Amino acid sequence: MVIKLNKNEEILYQALLDADAISIAKNFRSVGLPTRRNESYHYSDLKMLLDNIGQIATTATSTGEFAFNIANSFQLQIVNGEVQILGDKPPSGVVISTSNGGMSEPNKDIIAQLNSALTKETLHIDVSENLETIIQVDRCFEGKAALHNDGVEIYIANNSSATIVEVFDGSSEEHLSNSASKLILGKNAKATHIMVDISSKKTRHLQTVQYEIEQGANLHSLIIHAGSSLARTQLFANFNGENAHADFAGLMLVDADRHSDITIDVAHKVPNTTSTENFKSVVRNQAKAIFQGKILVAKDAQKTDAAMMHQGLMLSDDAQILVKPELEIYADDVICGHGATCGELDENNLFYLMSRGIEREQAKAMLVRAFLAEIFDPITNEDLYDILAGIADDWLKE
Amino acid sequence: MLEIRDLHVSVEDKEILKGVNLVIPKGEIHAIMGRNGSGKSTLSYVMAGKSGYEITKGEIILDGVNILDMEPNERASAGLFLAFQYPIEIPGVATMTFLKAAMNAQRKARGEEELSTPDFMREVKQAAKMLEIDNKMLKRALNVGFSGGEKKRAEILQMALLKPKMCVFDETDSGLDIDALRIVSQGVNALRDANRSMLVITHYQRLLNYIIPDVVHVFSNGKIVKSGDKSLALELEEKGYAQYDESAA
Amino acid sequence: MPAVKETIDQVKEIDLEKYKYGFETDIKSDKAPKGLSEDIVRFISAKKDEPEWMLEWRLDAYKRWLTMDEPDWAKLDYPKIDFNDIYFYSAPKSTPGPKSLDEVDPDLLETYKKLGIPLSEQAVLAGVEGAKIAVDAVFDSVSVVTTFREELAKSGIIFCSISEAIKEHPDLIKKYLGSVVPVTDNYYSTLNCAVFTDGSFVYIPKGVRCPMELSTYFRINEKNTGQFERTLIIAEEDTYVSYLEGCTAPMRDENQLHAAVVELVALENAEIKYSTVQNWYPGNKEGVGGIYNFVTKRGDCRGDNSKISWTQVETGSAITWKYPSCILRGDGSRGEFYSIAISNGYQQIDSGTKMIHLGKNTSSKVIAKGIAAGFSDNTYRGLISAHKKAKNARNFTQCDSLLIGDKCGAHTIPYIEAKNSSVIFEHEATTSKISDEQMFYCQQRGLNEEEAVALIVNGFVRDVLQHLPMEFMVETQKLINISLEGSVG
Repeated sequence: MVIKLNKNEEILYQALLDADAISIAKNFRSVGLPTRRNESYHYSDLKMLLDNIGQIATTATSTGEFAFNIANSFQLQIVNGEVQILGDKPPSGVVISTSNGGMSEPNKDIIAQLNSALTKETLHIDVSENLETIIQVDRCFEGKAALHNDGVEIYIANNSSATIVEVFDGSSEEHLSNSASKLILGKNAKATHIMVDISSKKTRHLQTVQYEIEQGANLHSLIIHAGSSLARTQLFANFNGENAHADFAGLMLVDADRHSDITIDVAHKVPNTTSTENFKSVVRNQAKAIFQGKILVAKDAQKTDAAMMHQGLMLSDDAQILVKPELEIYADDVICGHGATCGELDENNLFYLMSRGIEREQAKAMLVRAFLAEIFDPITNEDLYDILAGIADDWLKE
Repeated sequence: MLEIRDLHVSVEDKEILKGVNLVIPKGEIHAIMGRNGSGKSTLSYVMAGKSGYEITKGEIILDGVNILDMEPNERASAGLFLAFQYPIEIPGVATMTFLKAAMNAQRKARGEEELSTPDFMREVKQAAKMLEIDNKMLKRALNVGFSGGEKKRAEILQMALLKPKMCVFDETDSGLDIDALRIVSQGVNALRDANRSMLVITHYQRLLNYIIPDVVHVFSNGKIVKSGDKSLALELEEKGYAQYDESAA
Repeated sequence: MPAVKETIDQVKEIDLEKYKYGFETDIKSDKAPKGLSEDIVRFISAKKDEPEWMLEWRLDAYKRWLTMDEPDWAKLDYPKIDFNDIYFYSAPKSTPGPKSLDEVDPDLLETYKKLGIPLSEQAVLAGVEGAKIAVDAVFDSVSVVTTFREELAKSGIIFCSISEAIKEHPDLIKKYLGSVVPVTDNYYSTLNCAVFTDGSFVYIPKGVRCPMELSTYFRINEKNTGQFERTLIIAEEDTYVSYLEGCTAPMRDENQLHAAVVELVALENAEIKYSTVQNWYPGNKEGVGGIYNFVTKRGDCRGDNSKISWTQVETGSAITWKYPSCILRGDGSRGEFYSIAISNGYQQIDSGTKMIHLGKNTSSKVIAKGIAAGFSDNTYRGLISAHKKAKNARNFTQCDSLLIGDKCGAHTIPYIEAKNSSVIFEHEATTSKISDEQMFYCQQRGLNEEEAVALIVNGFVRDVLQHLPMEFMVETQKLINISLEGSVG
């Protein structure tokens, strides 16, 4: 079956043909970009939202500047889809390499498929020690508005640990970046994985994140959307081994007429795994924040404990928060729950602070920062904490 | 000096305060006693500037300035302090951060310099000691997980740090056991000052054994119906509020 | 604790493995030929002796239905329905239309007696409980009798079958039918518009508080017969009405289709309380047979300060697809949804509610309790939406699922849409099982496993049970226990 493609879809279709990705092209020809009829894009109809898709980006050189400068970090850059290794050699226990083409075994989702077909080079980070050094990967988009595709595959070996920070920092052009990250946690491995989008407000940012969590592993994942006119992160996590735990957190700071969407799908496939999902959004002006979360507990995945929470805060009347927290449960001996709240700042709290002499704007900012504390508090690295909390502070001051 | 002139206040078209007149000279402590629902708490909220109350008539003048048009924070900077009956819990806001923000906001409004961190710490420690507040409590989020007594002590701590000219205590004795009542009262009495006025709003006479008022007012059906010296409180305790119901109606 | 004892006694009384209402009434019926076509629509309309405008309305719906696709978004798995293998009209031969009680076929009266439905006014009047319930009994495609009509008529209340209302009260029907659920709302509701055969009509005139519970009892008897009922309740300004609905069907090996539409209209200061106990035949232990229940129920709080409250107990049907909803249009209007959905065997339930906040200061409350046992799947699907102008909209939603056994599934899919900042929405959901500690405690006190489960489940659904009319509460507790039979051990 084929559908009528619009001009943006034609560009993507042609790019797939040019990349010789025949089967994905065929598939794309029959479905096109996802619409709201596709449940996981219910509030982010990409066929409507994505316009002015450019041609595939051409090679550019790095400016050599990084978005964050964290003490004791190892920095890498992907510029217009090409991996650039600058400066020092990697710390001990880390192997950096690249491979041709996109990610291995991409998710079936069409955006993930497009990414894998169109990515020219994938960055591999293999960690086999308990790493003190933070690994930072910056995505940069240079030159005129274009279509960017890139991929990062991270492997944390058994009993190893690392903190990885991915920063998306688009230029002021109307780029569309379709990124993918895969993080595999070996047995008893530990990782903190932070993804921050601080792209300029013209950029469109799509990211697919895939986690494979093995026995006894421990993951802390944090997504921050503070840029882009359209930002959508879809996260797929699989618990493949017992006694593993993961905390998934996210923050959407959305203003103007921006559209921010975090959609996560956590699958507890084996017994005795636990997870928390803690997401917050703060919206103002005509902005839209979307959170869709799904916890799947497979048959036999007994003793799963999963708790999902989304809290939305609306700072102005035209903003919107749209939430769909799902539970899909096939095992009986589990504790699963979700909660969702949304509303304005509490007037009583505001009055209390003001009655002690604090001005309204400052009182509001204090309350918003208090609302966000749960997101930042688990970050133990002070530099990183300051940078991330600083993003929220700057956003509040704008 | 505080002066309330013919204050009328409505909530959703229902008149709650029906012409309150009250003058509290510098250095004096006044008490307002009344039944639950007589409008006492409304008076304290209106003084502090809470939204949701419609002031249909009257003025509240603090040191010659009508404060009714001011934001709650401006009133605070002008020297008004309300000790809440139910201090609010705000998770995520550290108590120390809050105290510092409040002190500096008021200093800034008065054109004073910000406190240095060591000075701030010293002041907090001193005040905390007087109120038997330990450091652990100060490390928690604002009022979160505080017992009833701890919350009230934290209110007095804030008062001690902010050094207001006019203090309003809204049912400060509610939910306090005798020890907590003693500590809170000691704190209040320590802050008695020739330049500081206080208004103690209470349902029971008990608190007035600890904080001795200069003047006692009886509040009924939205206004003050009788004023007298501290013996009026004892008389009320004995005879009850019923005798004032008619005169107010 | 008398309630507890009662529950235990009821559990003991249960005739194991038997759907209590599974008997068949052997009665001659008048059927339309199998299948669906324009001719069948005309046949139904002619059988009902309907005015021309009603036929036009049906034919228009039928044409639109032909262009629509069956929805596939629900978490339900069933073979495609063959609409040409269904009888769309079946009526007991002896009863061409509702009559007085004396004229009703004694076999029918006997059926309702067996079902425990009081059709005899005298019996109810003489009853010890003293509570009066007016009943409209719908057997396959037609309403066979409506009780207490005269008494209700004294206060100006109209309670009759919808077929009668079309003839007797065309102005009301023209004004309100399809005004809450538009003709093309969804696949099943559009089908219903074309082929609906009977149902109840209630009109409460301004300022009247309905003096008794109104009730409709639906029974599918004939083989291969679809039931397409249509209910319309209009509550004028300053009124109150409480309405109950019950459903059963015989045990059969083949699946039967039930596609109903219920529309409620509440004008200023009106309150409608609508309770359902749905106990259609759920199929046997292997999942053979059972009713496919595709229902569209919607209430429109059209007037300021109006209120619509849905309470449902869903224990039957092989497939349930049902989302009783409220459109909170009037300022200050309120919507409520209380639900108990129990699935056992191979039942599949996809049910929930939509609360659409349009007016200012509107509020809604949703309490949904899902219990999955056996090999069943039980999904709560809900939408809470506040539009731009719905200032100060409030919602509280609590949906809890309980799993009994490890072969079943419990799912929660809520959509929450806040489109202005003065909205306060709170949503909580939990999934759990009956804890070993709870079971042990009950067993230590002398309850057997099944009794303990019944006791704990009754506690789990308590918040909802208390919203049912008194007469239904005991019945419902019993039903819950029956539905969960064989779920342990």
